[in-house]
Amino acid sequence: MSARTAVIAVLAAACLLLVAAGPAAAVTFTIPVGGSDRCLECHAKPDLGTIEVNGVEKSLTVSADGYHDSMHGRLDCTSCHAGFEAREHTPEETEGWYEQARLTACSDCHADQAKMYDKSFHGNLVMNEGSIKAPACASCHGSHYIEDPTTTAFREKIPEICGKCHGERTFTYEDTYHGKSVTLGDTSRAVCTDCHGYHSILPESNPASSVSPQNVVKTCGKCHESANTRFSSFLVHVDRSTPKSSFWVWLMEINHAVLIGVLFTLGGLHCILYFYRGLREGMYHRG
Amino acid sequence: MASVDTGIEEAGITLEQAPEHASAAMHPAIHIRKRFRRFTPFQRWVHFFIMVSFSILVLTGMPLKYSDQAWAQTWMGFIGGVQNSGMLHRFAAIIMVTCVICMLGFFATILIRTRGRFWGPGSMVPNWQDYRDLKAMVNWFIGRTPRPRLQLDRYAYYEKGEFWAASAGVTIMCATGAILWYPEVAARVLPGIVINFALVNHSGGALLAMGFVVVFWHFFHAHLRPEAFPMDKAMYNGGLPLEEYAHERPLEYERLVKEGKLEDVLMEPLSARRMQYENILWWVITGCALVLWATFTIFVVWVTYHWLISF
Repeated sequence: MSARTAVIAVLAAACLLLVAAGPAAAVTFTIPVGGSDRCLECHAKPDLGTIEVNGVEKSLTVSADGYHDSMHGRLDCTSCHAGFEAREHTPEETEGWYEQARLTACSDCHADQAKMYDKSFHGNLVMNEGSIKAPACASCHGSHYIEDPTTTAFREKIPEICGKCHGERTFTYEDTYHGKSVTLGDTSRAVCTDCHGYHSILPESNPASSVSPQNVVKTCGKCHESANTRFSSFLVHVDRSTPKSSFWVWLMEINHAVLIGVLFTLGGLHCILYFYRGLREGMYHRG
Repeated sequence: MASVDTGIEEAGITLEQAPEHASAAMHPAIHIRKRFRRFTPFQRWVHFFIMVSFSILVLTGMPLKYSDQAWAQTWMGFIGGVQNSGMLHRFAAIIMVTCVICMLGFFATILIRTRGRFWGPGSMVPNWQDYRDLKAMVNWFIGRTPRPRLQLDRYAYYEKGEFWAASAGVTIMCATGAILWYPEVAARVLPGIVINFALVNHSGGALLAMGFVVVFWHFFHAHLRPEAFPMDKAMYNGGLPLEEYAHERPLEYERLVKEGKLEDVLMEPLSARRMQYENILWWVITGCALVLWATFTIFVVWVTYHWLISF
């Protein structure tokens, strides 16, 4: 074999390798980067108007800085907005896109999380029962301004995020020591996801749930090492203002309200009248 | 001490008239301005530590109770966050529990001395005279009668009320506080809902302790009551001039004279120098108390207002 043949053979092999491995590499490792500028030429304009999605008016404007600072700031817009062209979009591009993207846009890259989510209570509602109210990825993580969910700042927002749908639960959570501490800036205490999980949330009635009777002691035990079943029967979500939540806790609350009302009134009257009489009779003027 | 010289015979008055003539020479001790010892140094130190720990407990606990309020978040940041204020709260709780244990020991010595007799004149147990005193005061408050001359023994009705309210309060706060400090330990023997009860009671009890016991009762009676204004110094320097005491608490004075025990509770007068520097410190303490009182009162008014508009 001459030197020339050898060079040709090596080049041909390289080409073959490139042709074969190129697309595979593009799918698994290469993320399209830097293509957002074309889109933002129009979409960064503040007066772009809105579009109605599932009965909700959504702005078509995207903050360029906000997007670039987000976790996905270096991604091409079309990584999620697949099939969109850099011109005024046609109905063929836009119609039904949101409904589809809601289910599929994230799972290409975040397959593990998508798998957990699909099996969760929320995922089942969205993927199998076609619910448009149940949360998909963007409902909690947002879309154009996705944050790093491992930061303290994100952790602080979790009760608020869950509270968008479970407002009553967040209200009762904020009445516990966990909730009060987090409200006052100590994020080392439990937030919703520490007990309920996040991508794989299941209802209490499901034995696989982290808060099911089978697992709840273990879940409390993550922080409270010597927790037992009695400890975990503590009512985390109890609304003190109504007997429907827990009759005995409500009764105790009412008892305190009455005691405080009566004693403050009597004590206050005793003070005020004593002070008033003392003033009128000149008892505060002493040589 | 059967034949103590009370000076009453020399003054030409009867024992019953004695308190009315308190400023006259009734007892030789009055001539040299002896003081009546109302509180022992032990009692005064316990009171001091309870005062300090109570203030710390309120200042670190209330922002947690009202965590949804902007002022609570600002204040919590100022005192160093939840973890630090929690440490302070527990530290103050240990001081207060120590005080309570000391007081229980003190009560035990009283019980031993009186052979189990904890009631009677001079004790904290309410009696009919307290009821008559309160009725007379209410009549004066509403303008029906002129200012009454209360027939007080060692403790007035409002002091007894304070004592029992504070005793009940400290029992509840210690018990529920211990449960909240070690919920896992509590759950070894108690059902989980007891932790819920503890939360409600610790939070409600705190407001009661602060508003009722401290603002409306104690601060008022120790500082703003006309007879005490600006501060009842007995808890600070131990006593007060004998004639003042005989005038304020005639029943105890008469009792002690009758039993011949007055000599036991007399103190030497304060020196002029001591008086001088005590007066300065005294105004500082009174000033701090008034600032705290104003803060607590504004707070209690704020709570009441929010409670009323919640209907």
